[in-house]
Amino acid sequence: MGLIDKARIYSPWLYHLHCGGCNGCDIETLAALAPRFDAERFGIQLVASPRHADILIATGCVPKQFIPMVKRLYSQVPDPKVVVAIGGCACGGSLFYEEEPDNYAILGSPDLLIPVDIYVPGCAPKPEQIINGIVQGIIKLAEKAAKKSCR
Amino acid sequence: MADVLFTLLTIILIVPVSLFLGIIYAFLVRKFSARFQWRVGPVMRMYGDLKPLLGASRILQPLYDILKLMGKQTILPETSRKTLFVASPYLSLAFAVLVVFFIPFPGMPLLSNTPYSMIIASYLIIGSVVFTILGPVASGSPWGVIGARREVELFLVSELGFVVSIFSVAYAEGTLSLYNMASRALNLPMLLLMVSAGILMFLSMLGKLHIKPFDIPEAECEIVAGQYTEYSGKLLGMYFLAKAFMLYGLVALFIAVFLPPFSSSILWLPVYAIAAVLVVLLLSIVQVLNPRYQIDRALPWYMKVIIPLGLLSFIIALVIRLVM
Amino acid sequence: MSSSHIKILKRILEKYSTPMTLKYPSSVDASKKYSQIPEGLRGIPERDKEKCIGCRACFFVCSGRATKIIDIADKRTVQIFLFRCTFCAHCQESCPEEAITMSKKFELTVSTRSDPAAYVDTVLDMLSCKKCGKPYFPKKFVPRVYERLMEKINPRVKETVSADFKKVEGLCTECRRANSFELDTHTRKHLWLEGA
Repeated sequence: MGLIDKARIYSPWLYHLHCGGCNGCDIETLAALAPRFDAERFGIQLVASPRHADILIATGCVPKQFIPMVKRLYSQVPDPKVVVAIGGCACGGSLFYEEEPDNYAILGSPDLLIPVDIYVPGCAPKPEQIINGIVQGIIKLAEKAAKKSCR
Repeated sequence: MADVLFTLLTIILIVPVSLFLGIIYAFLVRKFSARFQWRVGPVMRMYGDLKPLLGASRILQPLYDILKLMGKQTILPETSRKTLFVASPYLSLAFAVLVVFFIPFPGMPLLSNTPYSMIIASYLIIGSVVFTILGPVASGSPWGVIGARREVELFLVSELGFVVSIFSVAYAEGTLSLYNMASRALNLPMLLLMVSAGILMFLSMLGKLHIKPFDIPEAECEIVAGQYTEYSGKLLGMYFLAKAFMLYGLVALFIAVFLPPFSSSILWLPVYAIAAVLVVLLLSIVQVLNPRYQIDRALPWYMKVIIPLGLLSFIIALVIRLVM
Repeated sequence: MSSSHIKILKRILEKYSTPMTLKYPSSVDASKKYSQIPEGLRGIPERDKEKCIGCRACFFVCSGRATKIIDIADKRTVQIFLFRCTFCAHCQESCPEEAITMSKKFELTVSTRSDPAAYVDTVLDMLSCKKCGKPYFPKKFVPRVYERLMEKINPRVKETVSADFKKVEGLCTECRRANSFELDTHTRKHLWLEGA
């Protein structure tokens, strides 16, 4: 493994994309980066601009007025990137999504718009589970980067 | 001839040494800040069962950040002026590396023997900061422009304090060469000058290194990422490298001017290391204890500090110069 | 350094060398791996296959519409899709046989929607109708309903109801309704019993 491939595993930067929802999963995500469950031990940092990020953390169910923003933010994250959907609403829509009849306000989970790589179900998931999901995301990121550079 | 060869050799040698030291100082800032917040920072010894996946130690964490950025895709926004946008990070890095050549290291006087090395070092620092203002302005995004404007205001006042403190010491010594300043002996009247000008220089360093009360230009989440909002990939990696070199340069300059014999001969190397760690510890303490100032409160605060301390330093320097 | 800075600094230095961080993904020190796991933690629901009778109470009561009943051939699958589950435990409260328990497992990370780890499946056999051959109720459903009914029924109609159950045994609901006059099981006959 080259040095840059190793560096991708050793320094993943997160961007928190709140698609709409009750904020429960957002509170647990920020608790996972707080002193009790410190994620900076492994080099994980929260960055403010999507252009600096590797891992996009999506929480919440997408309302119909937010669809263009989700697509725009996803396209602003540079390659290689990974999307981790946290919480029941982001995985499958949970309470707020029905296949039919069509809801006037809610579209559903973000994976109807952007490709999601890792799902972390729960309502809201415990911070340990979120860190578990992020570590799986880091492994997936390394696999993606290795596949692309081999081509 | 042997002199010229030795200088050339040390110039080539100082680049990896200063990069390594800059990265260690950045790691120490993160580690001390974490420990002061009752948490573990980047781990120095990884837990046994996670070693194969996550590596053995994270002492070089800032280096891994930079290497990862080199391997990411670089996105150039449509609204940016491409030439200036792409050239600014490289120029900022070039100026930051040139600063390192003019500051003495124990055992390696480098280019600090030249008569006006202090003025050259100050101007090179200014040059590096100017390109962190021009690049974001060229990016065409409102966040970058707001960050650049705040950087201009902050930079003007912190530069004033920096210049006043260094020039008062230069006036008292009667020399503008950093090597002569770094290898002088201390006596009692000079000690008073060291204290007042040293405090002024430390406060100006906070503004240049974006340490907590003054990390206004990169105010995270207030103006997205401030100056660096539109930068990604290689270009952002260049800015981070420039930050590492600047951190080393400013800490070394502080030790050279205000803790005099420690930067002169190679026998002082262990003491130099301890002094550097203490300076970094002080920076971390200030970072942890303070919230972020607003830009219109930071400027009057700086003015209230620079004018009294600066006048005091100059008066002491004048007295020393006239009496001795 | 104002006095408030010095107060904060003193408080910070109390715990400088013993951080409060949990060692989460590493299991090096088992007592410091997880934060508090309280008594009533609701983790992933688990269903006991022996107790479930396939009554569909959990399907009607599920908040996130995560429980689905899938009837294929002669098997009924009661499936919980964990992505939509809100872990509210309404299914545990409403199950008449107490077959569902919320376990204390909470670590679940899945990478595709079709991964079997994201589903909790219980497969039950169904009885087939003797007349038309279609599968109608799970095997354990009818005896359990009979038992619970006989416990609480009005004693005046107990024998009639018990006899009717024996007559329609093995027929699906369509065939029962279609043949209710021949078998003399139509519900209106209770009006001709004395008093009622």
